[in-house]
Amino acid sequence: MNERRYEKSAACFQFDGELEAYLEGEARPSVVAHARECAFCGALLKDLQQITQMAGEMPLEEPSPTVWANVRSQLESEGVFRPQQGVWSRFLLWRPVLHPVPLGALALLMLLGGAISLPPGGTRTSYLPDAVPSAPVAAVESSTLPVGEEENLASLVEQLENNFHANEATISPDLKATYEKSLVSLNASIRECLDTLKHEPRSALTHEYLLTAYTRKAEVLSSALEFRGR
Amino acid sequence: MSQQKTPAPKAASESQLIARAQRGDEEAFTALFEAHKRRVYSLCLRMTGNTAEAEDLAQEAFLQLFRKISTFRGESAFSTWLHRLAVNVVLMHLRKKGLQQISLDEADNSQDEPVKRDYGDDDRRLIGSVDRIGLQRAIADLPPGYRTVFVLHDVEGYEHNEIAEIMSCSVGNSKSQLHKARMKLRERLRLDRKGEAGREALPAAEPVGEAEEES
Repeated sequence: MNERRYEKSAACFQFDGELEAYLEGEARPSVVAHARECAFCGALLKDLQQITQMAGEMPLEEPSPTVWANVRSQLESEGVFRPQQGVWSRFLLWRPVLHPVPLGALALLMLLGGAISLPPGGTRTSYLPDAVPSAPVAAVESSTLPVGEEENLASLVEQLENNFHANEATISPDLKATYEKSLVSLNASIRECLDTLKHEPRSALTHEYLLTAYTRKAEVLSSALEFRGR
Repeated sequence: MSQQKTPAPKAASESQLIARAQRGDEEAFTALFEAHKRRVYSLCLRMTGNTAEAEDLAQEAFLQLFRKISTFRGESAFSTWLHRLAVNVVLMHLRKKGLQQISLDEADNSQDEPVKRDYGDDDRRLIGSVDRIGLQRAIADLPPGYRTVFVLHDVEGYEHNEIAEIMSCSVGNSKSQLHKARMKLRERLRLDRKGEAGREALPAAEPVGEAEEES
């Protein structure tokens, strides 16, 4: 079947010449006017507008999982990934913990906790059953403590820890297990910081982590003492 | 770029991820990949028209990104930086393939044939509802120079001045190539529609096996 052909008018040629500029956003009234009059040129304009619109709405495609597998494998072989700190260390990066207000409130809490929890005469009474190993919540050795602010905080923590041990029999077993778990992680973080400081004593970041670890430990111990007997 | 194809992750969380990735945190790399993989892959797919090539190029783009991430200082948006990097990876690949992508200002007669514009009865009818797959196929079949400009402008939302910079051509050339690309796409889509209409008009063929049994 042969399609009937039609001749282009002069206006069609002008339309062709101005169409690109019109589609680029230029004001071309003759294009709009001719598109209304000429079915061929009107169809062309609508088609091009539809193509442009559809192109801008094309959905995104999902790559196959092998892309990431290959990227990951390559990066690993190049040593781009570095081992990260544990959960507690990442928690300790949480800046608000280091702010003066929570620190001050914590220090007050610790002092109150210490005053309330100290047995009469100030002597430590251990209620720790023989079956329960003391290692997981053992205090960090005093000899390894740094000087200054950290030492003061470490001393407070040690005092709170003594009170915790003295009163742990009055804490419910479930609660005690939760606190001990937290303390084990915090002790690990503190040891990690102290080890680092042996090699890099001026590492400001490590000092910051250590301070935060002590603060967090004091918070945990104070909380445990607050809940004893409940 | 004037368009955003995907909702970008919140700036704060993304900057945290970038900082972590700069420290070599694998989880941060994974999260950044997840956030941007579809956009990068789609760009590669549309610029090449080939899924295998697109995956290789997306992979290469992310590898380059993660190797260079320590140099990212936030002067531009991370997504813009990544997107430009991916475009460069694709263009480099096309250049290596010898597809005359270096500059649109260079003479490329194969792409400059005038688009046929004769008027028949069919030309008065619209393409109608163009389906997405048909458009994707038509884009993939465009000559590489047209395809690149069309994808960058109409799909990815780049401005002509950005395309001119990327492609080392003039703004006018970018506009002209885009117009030709759209015209070629229209022509291709109309041919597809005519082909489909022709196939629909053909009588259904009898199954070969049954016809033999009957004879």
